[in-house]
Amino acid sequence: MAPIIQIKNVHKRFGSVHALRGVSLDVERGEVVVIIGPSGSGKSTLLRCINRLEEFNEGSIVVDGIPLDTAENINAVRTEVGMVFQQFNLFPHLSVMDNITLAQRIIRKRDKAEADEIAIQLLNKVGIPEKAKALPGQLSGGQQQRVAIARALAMNPKIMLFDEPTSALDPEMIQEVLDVMMNLAQEGMTMVVVSHEMGFARAAANRAILMDSGQIVEEAPPNVLFTNPTQERTKEFLSRVL
Amino acid sequence: MDLQEKKKTETAPASAGADSKGYFDPWWWLVFAVIGMIILLITTRPDPFMRILLFVRDGIGVTIQTTIISFFLVLIVGLIAALGRISRSRILSGIATVYVEIVRGIPLLVQLLFWYFAFPSVIQGIGSALNIEALKNYLANPVGMAILGITFCYAAYMSEIYRAGIQSISKGQMEAARSLGMSYVQAMRYVILPQAVRVILPPVGNEFISILKDSSLVSVVAVADMTRRGREFMAANFIPVETWSMIALLYLVMTLLAARLVTFIERKSRLER
Ligand SMILES: Nc1ncnc2c1ncn2[C@@H]1O[C@H](COP(=O)(O)OP(=O)(O)O)[C@@H](O)[C@H]1O
Ligand SMILES: [Mg+2]
Repeated sequence: MAPIIQIKNVHKRFGSVHALRGVSLDVERGEVVVIIGPSGSGKSTLLRCINRLEEFNEGSIVVDGIPLDTAENINAVRTEVGMVFQQFNLFPHLSVMDNITLAQRIIRKRDKAEADEIAIQLLNKVGIPEKAKALPGQLSGGQQQRVAIARALAMNPKIMLFDEPTSALDPEMIQEVLDVMMNLAQEGMTMVVVSHEMGFARAAANRAILMDSGQIVEEAPPNVLFTNPTQERTKEFLSRVL
Repeated sequence: MDLQEKKKTETAPASAGADSKGYFDPWWWLVFAVIGMIILLITTRPDPFMRILLFVRDGIGVTIQTTIISFFLVLIVGLIAALGRISRSRILSGIATVYVEIVRGIPLLVQLLFWYFAFPSVIQGIGSALNIEALKNYLANPVGMAILGITFCYAAYMSEIYRAGIQSISKGQMEAARSLGMSYVQAMRYVILPQAVRVILPPVGNEFISILKDSSLVSVVAVADMTRRGREFMAANFIPVETWSMIALLYLVMTLLAARLVTFIERKSRLER
């Protein structure tokens, strides 16, 4: 079967900033890819191009056989691709339950009972069923991020994108979020994760990728990339992070 | 003990009911004082005060009606203009920006005079040029033109309030909504606007009170509102002090009551957050 994400020679410019310089990447079904690299290297921009939160200038991206071209196709891709943000971005005016059911009801056209049931299942899965009625502001960062994951999963995505999901968290809350992500990986979810959590990458990822200056510098299984990198820029980056 | 109880009432959710023994807005005393003043005047000196009140009575209705209809139209047109201004389409945002800039540069009184006296002539002119009977005989309806004029003007100001409110919501909210597959309109409707409404409530309340006061300007375009009825009473009776004191007190009661209403709605929405 064709790779579920096919990125070919994508370029993205913000005015004079050339954020992506010809990135090509294929992700297989069920694969977990971790992207690392220095700040400003284009990791977020690449993720955001996959669900077209960002338009790109050149190249092509095909997700599950759907090219990202027309508005219709873009919406079709977005319903298949879940995204988790560094800052959670929960809807603060809605309860945890409503955060998880809103898009189910207006996009997936599920009735309230069905959407609620799915939400409760997902809250159990991420380990906070007791918070269904709370507002996001009443939760800890780790809990908010787990709700954000549940909100994305409620749309039954085939792919999950994570943009530094634990970077805004206090250290003691990182593991609870990584555990949820680990479970997802084990269930066979296709995941593209921007994260510098090496433990997670080693345990869950099939492939690790180093980006620098808008390009993919090196890719390899995480153990190989972290311990035996071939590229000078990878070595330099790892020596700063590890 | 005392302190604990106080804390409880403060943090109690709005659903706990209108807390009767809770917070009482001291501004209510001012409202009562002004109402008491009016009652005192009409009971102790029914001539001329009761006569004035009866004479301008239908004008009070016109003022309230003009204000409320205009306000709701302003809410709708202002939102459309705001969405135009933040639109990524150059044409839409250009049109909306020009509209706002033009309206803000012309006094409301001049705008009202234009809508009532000049606009119908323009329409009639177009009618004769194109030979369309319906347009040739076009006559302006005073109340309609007054509401049109107020709406056209205030919607421009309102659009700026909406715009600031929408832009105060973090970009991540729109992105999260779009990433779930919502369209721009759905994201606005379910995610952005409900949050923006809470931010803009105080300035929107102030606009309502401004419209109420500025509605007095429609008296120059043949609308028989409270102010115009006051002038008519004046013309027949020549008692300026009594007449304009009464009219001033009536406006004051209305604006004070409106301000209390705005505060009440604000408090309620804060508690629900
Ligand atoms: N909306 C934007 N406008 C202008 N420049 C941007 C924007 N988003 C990202 N950039 C620039 O693009 C480059 C890549 O950014 P980003 O993808 O966020 O990097 P990373 O996620 O690896 O830290 C940076 O130089 C950044 O300043
Ligand atoms: Mg980033």
